[in-house]
Amino acid sequence: MSHKLLSVQGICAGTEDKPILHDVSMELDSKETHVLMGPNGAGKSTLGRVIMGDPTYDVTSGGIVFDGEDITDQAADKRSLAGIFLSYQAPVEVPGVPLYSYLRTITQKRPELKMTARKFRNRVGEIAEQLDMDSSFLTRELNVGFSGGEKKKIEMLQLLLLRPKLAILDETDSGLDVDALSVVSRGIEAYRSECDGALLIITHNTRILERLTVDRTHVMVQGRLVAEGPGSLIDDIDAHGFVQFERASEDGGAA
Amino acid sequence: MADTKPAAGSVTLERVNTPPAQTWNYLRTNDITLTVPFASRKGDVYFALPRLFEGMECGMGQQVTDWVESQSADAHYVEVRAGQKRTEPIVVTSMDTGVMVRAGAEATVVIATNNEGVLAAGRSVLSPASSAASKAKRGLSESADKTEGSAASTQHSTSAALVRIIAERDARVHVLEFVCANDERQHIESVGITADARARVDVRQFFLGAATTAAGLCCSLDGADARFELTCRYLGRDDERLDINHVVRMRGRNGRTDIRESGVLDGRARKALRATIDLVHGSSGSEGAELENVLVLSDDVVNKTMPVILCDEDDVAGNHGATIGSVGPEQIGYLADRGLTQEEAEALYVRALFDEAVIAAPTPEVRATVLARATSVLGAEVARDLVEGLGLDSPAGEEA
Repeated sequence: MSHKLLSVQGICAGTEDKPILHDVSMELDSKETHVLMGPNGAGKSTLGRVIMGDPTYDVTSGGIVFDGEDITDQAADKRSLAGIFLSYQAPVEVPGVPLYSYLRTITQKRPELKMTARKFRNRVGEIAEQLDMDSSFLTRELNVGFSGGEKKKIEMLQLLLLRPKLAILDETDSGLDVDALSVVSRGIEAYRSECDGALLIITHNTRILERLTVDRTHVMVQGRLVAEGPGSLIDDIDAHGFVQFERASEDGGAA
Repeated sequence: MADTKPAAGSVTLERVNTPPAQTWNYLRTNDITLTVPFASRKGDVYFALPRLFEGMECGMGQQVTDWVESQSADAHYVEVRAGQKRTEPIVVTSMDTGVMVRAGAEATVVIATNNEGVLAAGRSVLSPASSAASKAKRGLSESADKTEGSAASTQHSTSAALVRIIAERDARVHVLEFVCANDERQHIESVGITADARARVDVRQFFLGAATTAAGLCCSLDGADARFELTCRYLGRDDERLDINHVVRMRGRNGRTDIRESGVLDGRARKALRATIDLVHGSSGSEGAELENVLVLSDDVVNKTMPVILCDEDDVAGNHGATIGSVGPEQIGYLADRGLTQEEAEALYVRALFDEAVIAAPTPEVRATVLARATSVLGAEVARDLVEGLGLDSPAGEEA
């Protein structure tokens, strides 16, 4: 049975000198898949980061409730432990930290995922196989020297390992070749089927959505959510682009 | 010591671990001065290394070589015959060791130090200087730092290893160094390597603990197309001192050198690292690169880094650099998004050092040495986790 998982209520946010999000509201139930689309620079990634609690952005008004708890003032690490996962568009390189040490540490932080080191190793091995990853990755430094596709696979590996309640995928498909895209899509599918979590997918590319059933589609233009509809809205965007929404937004702004 | 007379039964090694080229004295990073135990060996019958090893340049310099030779019970010589692929590692068990890797052969040399000294080495731990030694304070000081000698009052036992390796043409040599002692130990480790044509030498150093660690390594790429790779990982915490000197003499044509040093400094740790790539006349076509990344976790840390490229040849390339700082905001942000606070993110870097060292440890004994240190730094639970998680045999874990 699904329940309200995420409620973004009238969020206004931005950096010190630039407001980016204007009165953004969105609701997402558990087990649902939502897609957030919009032209470049619309503020989609910013919304993802604000939900995750990125301190770069100031929330000037509004609030965020996750799984019944107001998390508006919570730090990112607390939100992560509460069950929010943000997959980066460009995962950060962490020199000096092998992937294995990192995965083990972030898993041990979650009481619900506590397992013996041996079981953990086996679990990581299973996921790596699922994602066509060589286990030698584990001894390499986190994201250092990896190709774009490999980095995205590592993001998927973490997603399947941590089993968050909500996964925000920020343009996970960007810069991927066909094979890598297929593996990443498999990872997302596995997350939906194995972890039963909710998804907020930020994307330009509808190919990543081909294997998913999308419950709601949101369109963002200039920091505002200007349209919301069922999954079929994606086909409309595919056919006609964002021009209609941009025009409507300009008209609304002028009015 | 800089401002005290050596105690009876001890000797002062002035200005050792020096780089080929000095920098400004006021930076106090050109060398160190060590106070070490000294026992007369008059009347002993001493087995010395073959003459080939005489005159080999070692990282800490001739004074340290002379001192170790004067204190070692015996020298230990190992030869890997031409073409032999020796799978069993050569674990250094003497203060003074020479390894000859003949043409086309392959060997792994392991130098591991724990609280008992160099593994299985009969006389690697020397008694601390006695009587007036209580005035001797710490065993390691920077020669130019006049306040150093009176900075602390702890007296440490000293362990030492001098290892000289000759890699003949087409030989492959792997060197693994582990220093995992506690805060009552001064450890001195001086390594010298020569590599003939097409020889490949790779070195992995893990300096994970000791009150003072003074380590020097010098590799001379004498032959054409020789290769040298060095990875140095270190941890300095509490009041620990690290003094490291890396020197590569690139003499043959078309040589390649790649040096990567990185480590974590916390508490009041002090570290000086000197890394020199010397592109000697005749080394045309050679390339060398060195890079150090230092992660500083405390305001009381003292870090000194001296990367140097010397060049006396055309048609060569040398790169060097160093980055020093705390964990970057991007990394902190990424790790926070995965549930780690800043403190936990910093602790992850320390755990990562031990993970790497455990993976690299080639024998159960060496692994136990690393795990014992991991236990004291990270706790028994994490140390056990290292072993189990990496799929290593449990006996080493139990020893931890």
